[in-house]
Amino acid sequence: MTSIPQALLWCLSAGTAAAVVLAALLVRVRKERAGLRARLTAAEEHNSATLHSNTELSARLRATEAEIRHLAEARLPDLTLALAHPHVPVRGLLDKRFGGSGTDEALEAVLTQVGEAITKERTRVDAAAQSTLRGATTTIQALLYQVQTSLQTMQHKYDDPQIAQDLLDADFLNEQALRRVQATGVVCGAWPGLTREDSYLAELVVGATSRLRGYERVQVSNQLRDPVAVVARAVEPIAITVTELLANALHHSHRELPVSVTLQQGSRGASVIIDDYGVGMHDDEIKHAMELLAGGDSLLLTQLGDPPRSGFAAAGQLVRQYGFGVHVEPSPYGGVRAVVYIPGDPLLTVLDAGARPISVMAPMPHRAPGGPRDRAAVPSTMPTGASAPATPAAAMPAPRPAPAEPYAAPAQPAPAAAAPEPQQSHQDQAPAEGELPRRRRRRPQSEPQPESHPDTINLRSPEETGSRWAALQRGTESGRAAAHSEPPRSPEGNAQS
Amino acid sequence: MTPRQSSGRRLVPAYLATGGRAQPSRNTLDRLTVLISVDMPITSEVRPEEHRILELLQPGALTLAEVAAHLHLPVSVVKVLVADLVDAGRLHARVPIPEAEQFDRQILERVLDGLRSLKS
Repeated sequence: MTSIPQALLWCLSAGTAAAVVLAALLVRVRKERAGLRARLTAAEEHNSATLHSNTELSARLRATEAEIRHLAEARLPDLTLALAHPHVPVRGLLDKRFGGSGTDEALEAVLTQVGEAITKERTRVDAAAQSTLRGATTTIQALLYQVQTSLQTMQHKYDDPQIAQDLLDADFLNEQALRRVQATGVVCGAWPGLTREDSYLAELVVGATSRLRGYERVQVSNQLRDPVAVVARAVEPIAITVTELLANALHHSHRELPVSVTLQQGSRGASVIIDDYGVGMHDDEIKHAMELLAGGDSLLLTQLGDPPRSGFAAAGQLVRQYGFGVHVEPSPYGGVRAVVYIPGDPLLTVLDAGARPISVMAPMPHRAPGGPRDRAAVPSTMPTGASAPATPAAAMPAPRPAPAEPYAAPAQPAPAAAAPEPQQSHQDQAPAEGELPRRRRRRPQSEPQPESHPDTINLRSPEETGSRWAALQRGTESGRAAAHSEPPRSPEGNAQS
Repeated sequence: MTPRQSSGRRLVPAYLATGGRAQPSRNTLDRLTVLISVDMPITSEVRPEEHRILELLQPGALTLAEVAAHLHLPVSVVKVLVADLVDAGRLHARVPIPEAEQFDRQILERVLDGLRSLKS
């Protein structure tokens, strides 16, 4: 049996121990509670922050969606439009706060990609259209040349005015068709479709006018000093270019007004200057034309408008390929002045006018009275210099005054004149009225011709003609006398006489 | 007659010479019509192709067909040009010398018969 105190002691100590333990626990619980409270607060704060950012994010999401919708509904259509018409602006971001952000970059990337894709596709489609057209025009052009050949043969074959008229009309229509087809082909990247031989510039320009309706309004004035010709490879390109510029001039001026073409020879090349007196072009039109004429690498059919205006574009393509120059500016006469400059070095040559006579329709060079004709400039006709005291042999190209009168008078006996020579002397005799004498080159080459001309005339002068006729008459008389002396062959013969 | 130039395609078409006309102002011209130039100074209003015809005829007369061959132009077109020049008095055109024509013997015999019958 244990004593009560002992039991009490045990109880007390147990109680104390329990109290200590409890106290310790209490302290710990309190600590935990404070910690928990702090965590709760933090959690609440965090929660509210999360909520906040959540709303922000959703707002941002909505804004981004709006931005994407803006991209689809406004910016992409703008872009497609802007690619077709460069002056259309492409709208920017809907919300400026996205500027520089990843969204902005991504959207820009979309725009760039779409833009590239559209451009690429457009070029591809255009190239397909161009190649289709090119194939068609090449074939049609070849056929039209065949038509031209047969029309030409027929023109030489049939003299009847009615038929000839129809043939000339058909020929003209054919030329117009050719011009259209050729220009379209050139715009589509085809070559001019024809290689000619070296041709006189004057001939080329006249040929170019013949391809246009209203060619009778074109007045060509030939100021070339030499028989300047264009080398074979550039003949047709320059002809096309001149044709298109002339077409422009004729189209934009009144049908009663002339279009002046001047052929001018410079020291380093030759120019074809086309002046019209029409409505003229605005500054931006001229700017656009010059852009086309500068010959950019890529040319899209879609840029040419509807109906397509292919003239300047065709000229531009040829300028790029063949290296001559075209300039368009407002004319001092109020219309448009177009200048085709043909550099002398690669593109011009001088032809032997004897071997290759110029077309009869080419305008005559404006020459001073007494100036030798270009076609006289054949080296083989160089005289010995008997009548050229003032001309040193080396100074053949040097100009010298060309008096008209002294060469018409002398009647030295000269060998029978070659065919062109009297023509030249005739030219000498024919002063274009109102023209001043000009210094001309190659005087010596036409020296013997003036003498031969009066000589030819003299050969047929009264004495000889008289003697010829006298001989004829004598012959006739003697014949008649012989006939009369013979007996009549038949009564009918008698009755007739 | 062959078209002009064996080499190369023509650059200037024939219709340009007459402005597209093929109907001469006079229908008396023939391939063999002899053309003689009138001694008249060539003025600047003469068109280039007319000028060249006149030049060609300076040394002497040529037939129309020869002129056409020299100019490399169709005869029909040259006819128009020549007709214009003749109208302007710059050119004389002479009809070709006709072939010597025999009178129709039958008609003459009939006339003779008639005369004899009148006489008797």
